Amino acid sequence: MRHYETTYILRPNLGEEQFTEIIERTNAIITDDGGTIIDVDRWGTRKLAYEIRKETLGYYVCFNYAAPGSSVHEMERIFRIDDRVLRFLTIKLADSIDQETIAREVEKASAAAAQETDRPEAEEGEAPAGQVPGGDKSEEPEDKSSPEAQEAPDTEENNS
Amino acid sequence: MPPRKRMFRPRVCRFCTEKDQYIDYKDIRTLRNLISERGKIIPRRICGTCAKHQRQVSEAVKRARHLALIPYSGQIQF
Repeated sequence: MRHYETTYILRPNLGEEQFTEIIERTNAIITDDGGTIIDVDRWGTRKLAYEIRKETLGYYVCFNYAAPGSSVHEMERIFRIDDRVLRFLTIKLADSIDQETIAREVEKASAAAAQETDRPEAEEGEAPAGQVPGGDKSEEPEDKSSPEAQEAPDTEENNS
Repeated sequence: MPPRKRMFRPRVCRFCTEKDQYIDYKDIRTLRNLISERGKIIPRRICGTCAKHQRQVSEAVKRARHLALIPYSGQIQF
């Protein structure tokens, strides 16, 4: 068993029923092969950064599971056939995962889900404020041994 | 011409300060600080990340691009 995470994008105009149908069918592929679904996260419809097959919006689903590699292969084969799936990406999170870890992860995921339902739309409500991260770090003392410090005199000579 | 003031950039990797931090391709808010306005990955000599984390950053950015979370080129729109 390996620990994977798959994100896929569905066409946005399918309707809630078809979204659920696709998600359940995908989950069934995993569980039929002896895998375990840890967490299914529906991000909902969001804007794509670029057009994919003439679509500007996409319905994102991200799910986390433990399964053998063969079921990933099968799932991706189905994704390629299905015209309603725009994109998918599978990431291997861990080479092996035991039952104990799975149980713990499931617990953690359900706890996180419970927390999220307490404050819905927290994700969407937050506007991307013009933060300047790393700005507090800009006052770092100069490192004399850094190559940049050695380069500095050269550039000054060129300027004068 | 007066000697040009040198700008000091952060010399410490921003990810090394936080232990065990996984650079997530889904976390666009972190990634958008690591790509330029044009959508290019900012080089290590400018953003100050260490080699190990820069590799993770580039992997995460490429994954996010594939999923159309951030553009291959052009500005990020929200």
